[in-house]
Amino acid sequence: MKYLTPHRFTLLAIMVALVLPLTLKSGSLATELLIFAMAALACNLLLGYTGLMSFGQGIFYGLGSYSAGWLLLHFNLPLLLAVFSAMGVGALAAAVVGWFSIRQRGVYFVMLTLAFSQMFYFLAYSLKDVTGGDNGLLDIPRPDLEIFGQVVLPTSSPWQYYSFVAILFVAVFIAMQRVSDSVFGRTLLAIRDNEARAAAVGYNVKAFKLMAFVLSGAVTGLAGALHAILAGISPLSNIEYHISESILLMTVIGGTGNLFASVIGAAAYVLAADWLSEIWPRWMMLFGFLLIAVTLYMQQGIWGLLEKLYKSFRQSDSGMEAKSLTAGKDQV
Amino acid sequence: MTNRRDFLKLTAAAGLTATPLFSAAQTEDLVFACPTAMSGNFSAIGKFSEIGVRYAIEQQGTLLGKKLRYRMIDTEAKPATAVRRVQEAMQQHNIKFFPGALLSAESLAMSKEIDRAGGVFLTNAGADEITGIECNRSTFRWAVPTYGIIQGSVRPAADLLPKAKRWYTITPQYVFGDDLLKNAKNLFKEKGIEHVGNSYHSLTEKEFSGHLTNAIATKADVLLLLNYGAQASDTLRQAVSFGMKRNMTIVVAVASGLEQFESLGADICEDIYFGAVYWHTIDTNLNKKLVSDVREKYKITPNYSLAAPFICTRLLMDGIIKANSLEPAAVIASLEGMKFEGLTGMEEVRKEDHQVLRDFYLLKGKAKAKMRDKDDYAEILNAGRSFLSAAEAGCKMA
Amino acid sequence: MNVYLLQLINGIGTGMLYFVLAVGLSIIFGLLRFVNFAHGAFFLLGAYGCYQLAQLGLNFWWTLLLGPLIVGCLAMLAETYLFRKVYKLPHEMHILITVGIAMVLQEVVITQWGPLGHNVSPPEALQGVVIWGDFVYPKYRVFVIGVGAMMALIIAAVLEGTRLGAIVRAGSESTEMVSLLGLNIKRIFSLVFAFGAATAALAGVLAAPIRGVDPFMGVEALSVAFVVVVVGGMGSFAGALVGGLLVGIVQSMMSTIWPPGANLMIYVAMATVLLLRPNGILGRA
Repeated sequence: MKYLTPHRFTLLAIMVALVLPLTLKSGSLATELLIFAMAALACNLLLGYTGLMSFGQGIFYGLGSYSAGWLLLHFNLPLLLAVFSAMGVGALAAAVVGWFSIRQRGVYFVMLTLAFSQMFYFLAYSLKDVTGGDNGLLDIPRPDLEIFGQVVLPTSSPWQYYSFVAILFVAVFIAMQRVSDSVFGRTLLAIRDNEARAAAVGYNVKAFKLMAFVLSGAVTGLAGALHAILAGISPLSNIEYHISESILLMTVIGGTGNLFASVIGAAAYVLAADWLSEIWPRWMMLFGFLLIAVTLYMQQGIWGLLEKLYKSFRQSDSGMEAKSLTAGKDQV
Repeated sequence: MTNRRDFLKLTAAAGLTATPLFSAAQTEDLVFACPTAMSGNFSAIGKFSEIGVRYAIEQQGTLLGKKLRYRMIDTEAKPATAVRRVQEAMQQHNIKFFPGALLSAESLAMSKEIDRAGGVFLTNAGADEITGIECNRSTFRWAVPTYGIIQGSVRPAADLLPKAKRWYTITPQYVFGDDLLKNAKNLFKEKGIEHVGNSYHSLTEKEFSGHLTNAIATKADVLLLLNYGAQASDTLRQAVSFGMKRNMTIVVAVASGLEQFESLGADICEDIYFGAVYWHTIDTNLNKKLVSDVREKYKITPNYSLAAPFICTRLLMDGIIKANSLEPAAVIASLEGMKFEGLTGMEEVRKEDHQVLRDFYLLKGKAKAKMRDKDDYAEILNAGRSFLSAAEAGCKMA
Repeated sequence: MNVYLLQLINGIGTGMLYFVLAVGLSIIFGLLRFVNFAHGAFFLLGAYGCYQLAQLGLNFWWTLLLGPLIVGCLAMLAETYLFRKVYKLPHEMHILITVGIAMVLQEVVITQWGPLGHNVSPPEALQGVVIWGDFVYPKYRVFVIGVGAMMALIIAAVLEGTRLGAIVRAGSESTEMVSLLGLNIKRIFSLVFAFGAATAALAGVLAAPIRGVDPFMGVEALSVAFVVVVVGGMGSFAGALVGGLLVGIVQSMMSTIWPPGANLMIYVAMATVLLLRPNGILGRA
């Protein structure tokens, strides 16, 4: 148990990937859940770890979606290559947007990401020949996963595609977890807590922020690409303000304290959208209230809530046990 | 329209009782799914569509020995969501039949998904590609593509206004708008009409004063609005506020339906020409029955968002009856070439591209004083059907 | 009549509306240092208030007065019981809370009035057009320009000529200083916040007869308000006026020259200002 504790988040992530096929009937719903979980992870790297609230995640999501769609449609690239290229595009866009945006701080930074987000949206809308304009890119193929010409994993059925996405999800989670646990991650936290001090100590704050942006952009681009392949289309809505807002919403509501919380946030949103919308079309109202509640009272998000419940449950079992569990808990 | 709250309660109740959350994959029931916007920007469509589908299903009751049921799929007006939920419906609930979609972007996406998975899709989206270059075996369309819209609204309007030789167009800048404009320009050439100018605008535009100013400057005889829905309403409202009705005739190529008239009011709509895919005063048996039944049971007058899903469902049921089978391939084969009694009279499902051949209408807004009841906003001036051949439309069906 | 001249006047018309919409946002940020992403929701409520009061048969002139008043009171309540707790939190929190509120209000509007838009007619006296030789322009839009100009004068007079105005100007420079002077800063904040919300609501009431009401007009309004405030300068009243007119005129002119450019341009302008001169044309940080 002691060996597993530092890896508890990664294990939770793996568990989620394994449990979803057993609890959800729809492969495409499960896939969408993991896709948004990745987007939320990326957003959390910026928000929770670096203290940057980006309203521009939709840019990278949309660009990832368009580039994967375009490459698959016009060049028939193999699956992995298309997906990784999309990551590259996301990273590049994040480098550009990030470079400009981090020149400002606080609310000015937020507004910059907003302005860029709108700019990219209107660009995507006007460049109809490339992006399909309002229709988006259609008929995106979904090739099987091949390595050196051998089909390693077919992707045509929903659960088959899910396994492909699940593997990527776990890989991304492990990578992000390692980043957050590393010296780089700790430096980001230091920047989040007190930027002036971090700079005074000698860190190149701008470089770190930019790096965080690039990583975030790459993963978000990956999510967008996977979604385009899931739906077979790359619609304009993938680069719209609403998706930036949704990703941010998932991240905040899940909790910015750790990476797994983002998975929870994404799951809450995707499942609520799917289940609630049938009985109550105004389910967004619930999320509005949740957002207010989280900001005021539950800064650790749903994860924090679950954590509190877990602790009080353990405490009612045996006081000593709970104390030792929480003793070495880091604040992250 | 009745008290809005009652209406909302009614449809909420309808929704709750008629669509169970998780239906088992195999039951003795036959389930149709209507994918449309129930939440988000276009949610009003969903409420009306549900009534249309429900009415058709309740009328029929059972089909080939199975009890008919329906469920509404909320697309949130987002193509990606639409595709995913359709995937879900087909795999999880084994649903094969999808009548009643209305929006273009999502219909295009859904059409491909449903074709890939072997279902049957009946839509009312306006985009030409649906039965044109993107046509496929699973998809059928009841609404009218842009050629038919222009032929059905601009041509008769031009005939009624022989002295109007200078026309100005306002066009939304996307595929649908461009296609309408292309067809309009061709018609202008044919009729010797001078196209004095065009203004493009984006799909999010709300402020049309600039475009209207351009139109006024050209001293055109007719202002032709090629935009749709809320944008057409805004343009119209602003055009009237600029006093353009005094010097020009205004033609709206395709109205979105009764709600549009309700939201604008008779004063604005008076003397405006509107093209329409459906109007509640169409004088056919099926439509008269639809209108009277819906008025009696739901206390509302059918609008386009209600009637179109209704007729799609009805057509689908007729196809299944004729095929005497629930296999999509058989139903598709029986639908092809089928002639049936539709809302606009005798209609036919064209075999080559699955476009339903039916009438399109030209309406003219009535003065408030001349309205015979609260829905009588316009009178039908002309009805007719014009369709490009399947080959001209670009359809190459496998 | 030269098309460009008419476009200019249109631009001034929309610009004035943008000014009335954005001035509250600017002053609230200037004095309260509070980032209000729910500003668009006040605009929305004002517009729907106009619609609802018109439905109840109320005269437009009363709506012009009551709409902003009602929204102002609601805003004051929200400020006293909710936002006050949030001032000390970082700006990001302000954004999140107000985004949440905006979401909830939008859904409430849809629940109450349905997701489709509605039409609002201008009052009888303002229907029809002004004719001046070749020049034809809707009376109602001239009225909007007039109201905007009047608001500008009133606000300028209050800011420069009254004690409250002096406090607001001082507070925009330094909040600590003002509270050190022993003034009831809480009351002043409430009032200013209410005023900011009321002006947004006024913009909503004015806009309703031009473009109708629909539940999503709040989000559009918020985007534009931010562009105006950023370009003109956060915290600056004159900046809101200059920014509003600039944005309105650019949009109008672009719709003749290159329509897709209109929206693209204003966000490029916003980004450029944020990068090169974040205080905006006339503002201070």
